[in-house]
Formats: sequence, structure tokens, C-alpha cells
Amino acid sequence: MDSEDDMHDANDVESLDDDFYSGETEDAPMDYYSDYDDEADDYFDDADDSDRVESRRPEQNFTILRELDIRQRQEDDIARVAAVLSIPRVSASILLRHYNWSVSKVHDAWFADEDQVRKTVGLLEKPVFQNSNTRELTCGICFEMYPRARVESAACGHPYCYSCWAGYIGTSINDGPGCLVLRCPDPSCGAAVGQDMINLLASDEDKEKYDRYLLRSYIEDNKKTKWCPAPGCEYAVTFDAGSGNYDVSCLCSYSFCWNCTEEAHRPVDCGTVSKWILKNSAESENMNWILANSKPCPKCKRPIEKNQGCMHMTCTPPCKFEFCWLCLGAWSDHGERTGGFYACNRYEAAKQEGVYDETERRREMAKNSLERYTHYYERWASNQSSRQKALADLHQMQTVHIEKLSDTQCQPESQLKFITEAWLQIVECRRVLKWTYSYGYYLPEHEHAKKQFFEYLQGEAESGLERLHQCAEKELQLFLNADGPSKEFNDFRTKLAGLTSVTRNYFENLVRALENGLADVDSNGAASSKATSSKNAAGSSKGRGGRGKATIRTISSRMTDDNHWSCEHCTYANVKSATTCQMCNQQRR
Amino acid sequence: MMISGGGGGGGKSSWSSSTSSWVPTTSVSASGKRIQREMVELNNDPPPDCSAGPKGDNLYHWIATIIGTPETPYQGGIFFLDIKFPIDYPFKPPEVVFKTRIYHCNVDPDGRVSMGILKDDWSPALTITKVLLEVRSIMTNPDPYNAVVPGIAHLYSGDRAKHDDIAAEWTVRFAK
Repeated sequence: MDSEDDMHDANDVESLDDDFYSGETEDAPMDYYSDYDDEADDYFDDADDSDRVESRRPEQNFTILRELDIRQRQEDDIARVAAVLSIPRVSASILLRHYNWSVSKVHDAWFADEDQVRKTVGLLEKPVFQNSNTRELTCGICFEMYPRARVESAACGHPYCYSCWAGYIGTSINDGPGCLVLRCPDPSCGAAVGQDMINLLASDEDKEKYDRYLLRSYIEDNKKTKWCPAPGCEYAVTFDAGSGNYDVSCLCSYSFCWNCTEEAHRPVDCGTVSKWILKNSAESENMNWILANSKPCPKCKRPIEKNQGCMHMTCTPPCKFEFCWLCLGAWSDHGERTGGFYACNRYEAAKQEGVYDETERRREMAKNSLERYTHYYERWASNQSSRQKALADLHQMQTVHIEKLSDTQCQPESQLKFITEAWLQIVECRRVLKWTYSYGYYLPEHEHAKKQFFEYLQGEAESGLERLHQCAEKELQLFLNADGPSKEFNDFRTKLAGLTSVTRNYFENLVRALENGLADVDSNGAASSKATSSKNAAGSSKGRGGRGKATIRTISSRMTDDNHWSCEHCTYANVKSATTCQMCNQQRR
Repeated sequence: MMISGGGGGGGKSSWSSSTSSWVPTTSVSASGKRIQREMVELNNDPPPDCSAGPKGDNLYHWIATIIGTPETPYQGGIFFLDIKFPIDYPFKPPEVVFKTRIYHCNVDPDGRVSMGILKDDWSPALTITKVLLEVRSIMTNPDPYNAVVPGIAHLYSGDRAKHDDIAAEWTVRFAK
């Protein structure tokens, strides 16, 4: 696995090191509310800071693979299978490709019934076509006679001349990844054509294409690996399921959801996100066309357009799944029982039950609620653009402003980390807030209590974020424009660090509530006591993508002394002597 | 009915009287050579009730005829087919289209024949002779499993007699 340095660049704004919603444990709560004035030096001490980040670094359940890593893994798997089964490397490659690069599946199948596997995959032990000992052989494609030296055959022995092999292989490679399951040209023969034949007979360009297809196949056919979906990114990600956390950060700094390959969208589920993205699509007319005129292959999910009359569909190679256009069931399940091969009464029955009307109904509802949609979309989009701006500001801060600020305020850069932390928090919170608007759009109208609770949490989080963003953007500007050190800078540090932690609290509460499906709202429509206390929770005890209930602690349990009081409105820890909150100016109760 | 055609590629060509086979006098592409060989084979050993050859002097565009097999609703009919060879033949399948209207569940209203060997199951080792035999075979035994006209397939499976009556009527109307 890549080292931590490789995995997450110091400037990687979406690095997992800054996983804002990975909670600290009950045993070691993080004290966000130390007295900044008295303990500023301790708080910003390098060692402490790194410990603090370490304490909330989640267990990483993915690995980023470069092309070299992919090739290495592929080679290792091929070598392992070849060694265990005592077969040539080429045969091992064909076997692995057939079993979607699962070494264990290859072993299981091979040792269960080697002959059957050989027959299925096309690995013949001896030729089926015996070439006579004549000096010349007839090519089975062009029907010309050639000397033996100019004729080649797969394991089956069927002879074809070099130029016909080149034409056959070239055409197959240009047709797409189906070339990875190439068989002998003889219609009655199933012998596999391996990479050795490709290397021997194909043009350099075709060899390169085949090689790319083989590499792609290793990622695309393997259930545990995917390409990073960022445009132009050539890294792949291997993922170990288990934690329920699907967020992945690629080396290219793009964060995405492993499950649906959309951008990271925690705490909103993939279904909501896909509905929302479909709805927002600028190509919605195209999408409508695709929905109306194509259906996803039930096996590989690629959209298939029906361009002939037959209901018997066959997906393109290498999938080749045969299914019924009407009900999307396997074609092998059709026959007289379903009303014949050509008329599918499964579909008719399902249609009468309204199964196929759902998409249409949803689309109608969307049309009828345009105003409501616009409300949510505008806020979703504005948070998206705010996030983009914040990312740019963060980059500017890291590359230009920190150095400048360090000079003008006469402070080491290590003591200005609180500014970067604030910007990282803003970027992450904008992402979360953006997706809460899609969540809100799909929240059922009739669940009033949930809606109210959601809007309350969202509103609190949003106002907290606005205060933080305002402080980081506008108030920081004063110090950036200053000519020399400023007395107010320490107050600014206290305020910004405080706002950062307060905002983090709000968003932890929001994320936790959404991941629990707003379960803290009881059936009578009132927020339960659990929900009330969760408002003041410091942090979740679960990982970033965890779905379990968080352990909830009230603010008092985090106090290390009696010198503070917690504002009920914004949860900021104020010094005991203050009568109004230093953050939100609310009166102490 | 036998159709014999001219040469391909615009070059001169001649018929050898002794062997009654077509002999090219100019070099043609690999696909052209293969098509010429097939033409020779077809002339020397035509499949039963079938014939085929180039339309005019275009080697890549043939016309074929199939005579309806006895004891089928197509008996006595003469069915003309258009065969177009792609430039990368035999690595890509030819396109076979009925020019004579036929009532058949595997032939779409435009005459396009839906057969495995003309799509995914094509192999460069297959020849036009084998294709014509396969077309003739589905005329004898339609494949409702892979129908392109579900209505005809439905009738074929549900009321064979009625299906055969309509097919025979179409044969009389369009193929005689």
C-alpha cells in the first residue's frame, strides 16, 4: 500500500487527514474549548497538533493504485495462478479474465472440475485438428495454400495464415474489449486465443490497444477496484468494504463515493444523490431520451438501445448477457410459461401492478414542483460555488497568504495552522451543506416533525458556517493588509479557532442526525431528549461513514474546569465572567 | 436459377470455357480475392436450390436466389436476396436482405435477415455458401426464439396452420 505521504499530499485539501466527522472516542475526548488566551502556545504546539489530527484519523479502507501498481498486481495474480495450477502464464491470464480476476474463484473452479473449466474457457490440452505432415497448408479464411512457416494456429490446431490472423485479431481489437475473449476463427471451435498470439501476429498499435483493454479489464471486471472518476485521472482505487464508509480520496485530490462513483456526498445516501443529479442534469432532455429509448443491461448496467423488433436482447461483449427487453429478466427464464418467447406476460402483470409507472410518476411530480425544486437547487448550487471559491481561497492561503501573514505578524507558520484548519473546515462544511439541500428536497412532505428538526439543524449549521466563512474571509483581510504586527491578532485567533470548532460541532450533529435518518424525532413530532442533548454533542464516536448511533455527550461532560459556561444557542464555551456569548451575543441564561 | 456475374474491382475479367469458372486478370484486395474464391466455389458446387453472383461488375454487391423448399409454405416461390460484402470481409459479416417480400418471423419488414451467424456468431471461416444454407434452413424451420416480428412468431407457435396459410399466400403474391 502507498505510504501516508504518497496517499495524501500536504496540500491535498480533501485529504483524509482532515476528516472532520471522524469522532474521537469517549475515552479520549477532544477538548475544543480550552482557554485559548491562556493556553494558546500549548494549543498550537506542533506536537500537540499532530497528535490531535492523528486522534481523529480514520482507518483507511482503500488503496490508490497507479498504472505501475495495477500492472504489478495483475502480473502477481497471473504468476500466482500459473504457479499453483502449473499452467502457462498466458493460460492463467485467460482464466483470470474469465473469472473476473478473482484468484480464489479460479482455484475453486479449477480444482472442482478442471476439464469443465478448460472446455468453458477454451484451454485445450491437445489439438482437435491434426495437421498432416504436408509441406503446405490451406488457410481456413483466405483458402490459399501457404508453407507451414507462414501458418499459425491456436491450441486447437486450425491453420490460418499470418495475414488472416492479423486481420481477424485487428478487427476484434477495434471492435472493443470483446477481443479479450477471442476464440479460434473456426465456427465449431472454442479454443482461446491468448496474448502470446496477439503479440506474435498483431500490429504494434493493436498490441498496445489489447494491452490497454487487459489493464482496464483488471480494474473494471474486478468487484473490489474502480477507476477514479475525476476527469483525466488515471489512478484506480481498491476498496475493502466493511466500515460502511464509502468516501474515497484519490491522489488527484478528488473525493468520491465508492458506492456510486459520484463526488463524496456524505451524509446523503447514493439513491438521493443519483435522483438529484439526474434532476439537475443540463442534459436532462438527453436523459429523458435515454430513459425512454434505452434500458440498462440487468447485468452490467450499461444503457442499451433497442434498434430492432426482437425482444431478445444480447448485451455487447464482453458482457453478452441475454435478457428480455420488456421485463429485463434473463432470457433463459422465458418460454411458454411467460406467454411465449415474444410476448412477456411478466411485464404485462407488473405493468398492471404499476411497477413500471414509478419513473413517469416521479417525473410528473418533479414538473409540478418546479418552484420548490428551484428553492433547493439554488441553495445547492450556491453552496457548490462557495465551496469552489473556498477551495481557491484555501490554495491561495496555503501558497501565498500564510507566508505573508507570518512575516507581518511575526509568527511562525506553525502557529498559523488555525487559519488553514478553518478553511479546510469551510470547504468540508460547504460540501455537507450542499448535499443537505438535496436531502431536504426528497424529505417527505408529510413528515412534519422530521422536516422541522432537519431545517432547524440545517439552519443552525448554516448560520454557524456563515459566521466562520465571514470571519475567515473578511476579518482575516485586515491582518493581511496590515503593515506590521497587530494586537488584535490573538483575539482573532481565539475567535476563528472557536468558530471553527463550534461549526464543526454543528455539522457533526447535522451529519449524525441525517445518517440516523432523523431518528431522534419521536412519533409525536417533538424532538426527543436525545435529540436535544445531541445538539450539544462534541463529536461523533464513529468513523466518517459509520452508520451506527453516536455516543452523545452534553457539553458539560467536556468541560475540564468550572471556568466556562456553554452558550445554549451556539455551544461556544465562554469564560465564566462573560454575561453575553462572545460568539453570537446571546444573553447567558 | 443460376446467376453469374462479372468481375470486380473494375479490372478486366474473363470466363474460362474449359472450367466454366471466373478467372481474374487483375490483382484485387484480400477481401476481393476471398470473394472471388467463393464465387468460383459457388459456381462449381452450388448449394441445393440456391444461386448467387455479383450484381453487374461490383464484386462486393451480389444477388442471390433461393427457391422455396418443398413441403414448406414457401414452396415454389423464388426469393431474391441482396448480399453486400463489407470492405473488411471476411472479418465482418455480409449484409443479407430479402428483396422479395416474405412472411417470416426472422425477417424484418425491410427484408433484413436476423440470424446469429450474420451478427455475433459470425466467423471469418464462414462462407456465402454456408450463409445461404442457413437462410434456407430458417425458411424450413423458423426460430421464434429470436424473432424480429413478434406477431408472426406468436402465430407460428400458437396457430401453425394459420401461419402457414398466410406465408403461402404471401409466397403466391410476391414470390411467383
